[in-house]
Amino acid sequence: MTNIATWARLKSPWVLHFNSGACNGCDIEIVALLTPKYDVERFGIKLEPSPRHADVLLTTGCVTEQCAERLKRIYEQMPQPKFVVAIGACACSGGVFAGNYNVVGGVDKVIPVNAYIPGCPPRPEAIIDGVVKLLNSLKPPKPIKKEAKIDAE
Amino acid sequence: MPSKEIDMIKVLETKLKGKPVQIQLGHLGTAAVQASAGAYKDVLKAMLEADEKTAVTAITGIDLGANIGVYYHIRTSNAFITIQAEVPKENPKIATVTDLMSGAAFHELEVADLLGVVFEGHPSPGRLVLPENWPEGIYPLRKDVKASEVKLNPPSTVDEKLSDEGKLVKIVIGPQHPALLEPEKFAVTVDGETVKNVEPRIGYVHRGIEKASESRTYLQDVYLVERICGICNSCHATAFVETVEKILKTDVPHRAKYLRTIILELNRLHSHLLTLGHAGLEIGYETLFQYFWRDREPIMDLIEIVTGNRVISSSMTVGGVRRDIKDTDIPKIKTVLTDLRKKLPFYKEIYENEPSLKMRMQKVGTLSKEDALKLCVVGPVARGSGVDIDVRKDEPYEAYGEIPFKVITYTAGDTWSRMNVRMDEVEESINIIEYALDNMPAGAYRVKVPRVVPAGEAVNRVEAPRGELFYYVKSNGTAYPERVKVRTPTFANIPSFLKTAIGESIADIPPNFVSLDPCFSCTDR
Amino acid sequence: MIDYLLLIFRVLVFPGFTFILFFTMFCDWVERKIEARMQNRMGPSFTGPSGILQPLADFIKLLTKEEITPCESKKTVFRFAPILAFSVLVFAMCFLPFDGSSIIPNVSFAGDLIFVMALVSVANFLLFLSGWASANPYSSIGAARVLTQFLGYDIPLLMLAIAPAFLAGSLTISTIVSSQWLPFAVLAPWAFVLFIITMQAELEKDPFDVPHAESEVVAGHETEYSGGKLAFLKLARDVQIVFGAALIVVLFLGGANGPVFFGLPAFWGTLWFVIKLLAIVVVSEYLTVLFARLRIDQVVRANWRILLPLSVLSLILTISLAVWIYPLV
Repeated sequence: MTNIATWARLKSPWVLHFNSGACNGCDIEIVALLTPKYDVERFGIKLEPSPRHADVLLTTGCVTEQCAERLKRIYEQMPQPKFVVAIGACACSGGVFAGNYNVVGGVDKVIPVNAYIPGCPPRPEAIIDGVVKLLNSLKPPKPIKKEAKIDAE
Repeated sequence: MPSKEIDMIKVLETKLKGKPVQIQLGHLGTAAVQASAGAYKDVLKAMLEADEKTAVTAITGIDLGANIGVYYHIRTSNAFITIQAEVPKENPKIATVTDLMSGAAFHELEVADLLGVVFEGHPSPGRLVLPENWPEGIYPLRKDVKASEVKLNPPSTVDEKLSDEGKLVKIVIGPQHPALLEPEKFAVTVDGETVKNVEPRIGYVHRGIEKASESRTYLQDVYLVERICGICNSCHATAFVETVEKILKTDVPHRAKYLRTIILELNRLHSHLLTLGHAGLEIGYETLFQYFWRDREPIMDLIEIVTGNRVISSSMTVGGVRRDIKDTDIPKIKTVLTDLRKKLPFYKEIYENEPSLKMRMQKVGTLSKEDALKLCVVGPVARGSGVDIDVRKDEPYEAYGEIPFKVITYTAGDTWSRMNVRMDEVEESINIIEYALDNMPAGAYRVKVPRVVPAGEAVNRVEAPRGELFYYVKSNGTAYPERVKVRTPTFANIPSFLKTAIGESIADIPPNFVSLDPCFSCTDR
Repeated sequence: MIDYLLLIFRVLVFPGFTFILFFTMFCDWVERKIEARMQNRMGPSFTGPSGILQPLADFIKLLTKEEITPCESKKTVFRFAPILAFSVLVFAMCFLPFDGSSIIPNVSFAGDLIFVMALVSVANFLLFLSGWASANPYSSIGAARVLTQFLGYDIPLLMLAIAPAFLAGSLTISTIVSSQWLPFAVLAPWAFVLFIITMQAELEKDPFDVPHAESEVVAGHETEYSGGKLAFLKLARDVQIVFGAALIVVLFLGGANGPVFFGLPAFWGTLWFVIKLLAIVVVSEYLTVLFARLRIDQVVRANWRILLPLSVLSLILTISLAVWIYPLV
């Protein structure tokens, strides 16, 4: 039963995109994923409007003070099991804006992050690679074959 | 229509005889007028009476030590005047100009927020870019405030009281909403499906860039300012380096000017195609969105060929550009542009003939020409309402003075006109790039400039895809700038949205909003 | 004994509940592929051959998610509205003759056309309730739009459905199907075309997609739902689309009528029904992809000022031309 559940979760990750203080560079690369050249609907990835429908939260941007509260709220509104992907150098650590007033820093200072995709902005291919790596990490690990011990005696 | 050549300097000299003002020609634009805090309004009144196209471009606040400088940068049909006033730091009070120009409201709020100047008589004082839990009395742009030492109050509970005053329901759009690519909040009061009032709250993307630029060198600042907005990043970089070059009094090589023009026009192409597609998404026309973005991808490849990266490329530097175009790449660039040009009639036909699109876009969000002038809007929003302002023609920079092109205007002032302005500008951009490629002069693409910039100040304007982008840079003789002030086009255009959304259906908000091409990372900086 | 087992097989497996469920998912896949290909993309491709298992994966994934009930919602209505809406629609489907006779055998009665359309209205009302029960302003606006749209468009829909009933001389679905030696689409094409357009509005697809306008009301009445309840809400919408197409097939395209070549007539009947249904789904999806979304006031105006008079005219036209059409029935 868990195999079917895992298969369904791997094949149908619905994403919610939230910009928590980004310059838009990463966001337009995320929207470009839906367009004919990259087309992530092939993998079953759909862009959902409401946090309650989504499995994966794609965040971009260094988190500003005003967005921190909202980011937490959106994370809490998503039903389990949920994953967070931090896209771009700013989401990973604050980027060029680390240390400014009004900037909290990377997304992991506010909510737990499952995958980091660095880049400024990362190419759409890099984003797809990151999301696929995240999904593959959900697969149960292959069982280790016990080595057949051949006794010399 | 023949434009009267109004000599603003003569007008000012005659009307302001005997008043405590000093006119300095050629400084900070066409002229800088130093006026006391009491007299600057007279200067503004004189300019408004002489020329109806007078509009406020920006209001810069700057910490000058004992005083706070409040500089009004005003544009007219053929001049750019900076009115410099000062107020003492202990009592920073100055009269508002919103009674003369309603478009100045946002600019004054920002100076009040970041520097603590009190504008007496402002219609709606309050926070603009700083968060609600910012401590009172601390103004980030003052020199004595260190960015890392500011301690914020604990965040207040985020529960919005959705007041149910009778039939009126308050809906909050944002910060997370599928229609918005960026976080910002609009509290919309509706009666059924008609919008009665819109209250914006911006500042969700305020990253303190102007303060941060004071602690980085000029070259590091290029990397910082181009990340104000990922979409118009080359325009920010160009405006900044041009301002610094004005202070240095350096001239870039001729070839660099043409290269910069090509990069700026490629930027305009990808931005307009992005907006045209996004508008399709907002009216539920996903097919149009997919088609426009499919045709945008070859342009992103071109940007990568010319600058080295798809989006943010750091191709501008003080003194020129970093990379040259190889001659072997030029035929590739031309093929892509020709293919795009062939697709334009298809899109034009959709905008002319598709009934569902016309029903959603025509007569929606109408901005009359008078309102456009009063609210000081810029870019395609102004050009869609018949106001023909375009910095590339009004004050040519880079190679625009040598390349022939048209300024596109439409008169209806609705969403449909604004999108059509952008579509026609796509064709003009293709023309400009092809002309520049054909007539590219040979030579160097970069000159070496000193790291330490002598003391001075300069202003500069660039036509970004969204409108007029304004920079003011003041240097104090060290390797770090004293003050960098950025005024982005969306900052000037938001008040027009607050006006055009009222009285229309709530379903008209998304297409109306997208038609002004908002970029909130630009607005908040 | 065998009769009972056959009855259970008929109702639960084929052409009953299981068949309807999987066929709905298949139609969902067809729609997504058409939408993708029209937009120059591929659509779901890797979940099963050509992505055919994608709707199934979506459904199972939603069932395994946590279900959150907002504390301020009206809990009982919130919990039961999705599954009730789905059940009512499947029940309504059971009256349509998939393979020549209705799925639950021997339930057709005089006037069951009106009964079936009333059931669809009840299902739509339950969808409205699902939005009303979530304590969320976006859900309320979305629910209000659902109500406005389906109440308004039910009237022209019923009027246009009367045309084939008039030609067949009865309001019973099985009689309407059996009197179509020539499909009514050929005999009364005006009613057929208008019915497809009105059905597009009833099913809330572009250009009448208003209750699902993402950019305005987030997810409309579905905004606060998650997990299994969301799965049934989405399934209810898909079943409604299949039901609408099936109604068109039954009323205008002759239901399961068609040439029988060899073997069981029931098998061939179902095959022809399925082929005609898929054709209508394809046409409807083409219409969806080609148009933008209209505003709610434009949709309401289109209903009362254009479609309602046209449907009255179509009824008058059918009645006046009946003299010439009757011999062909």
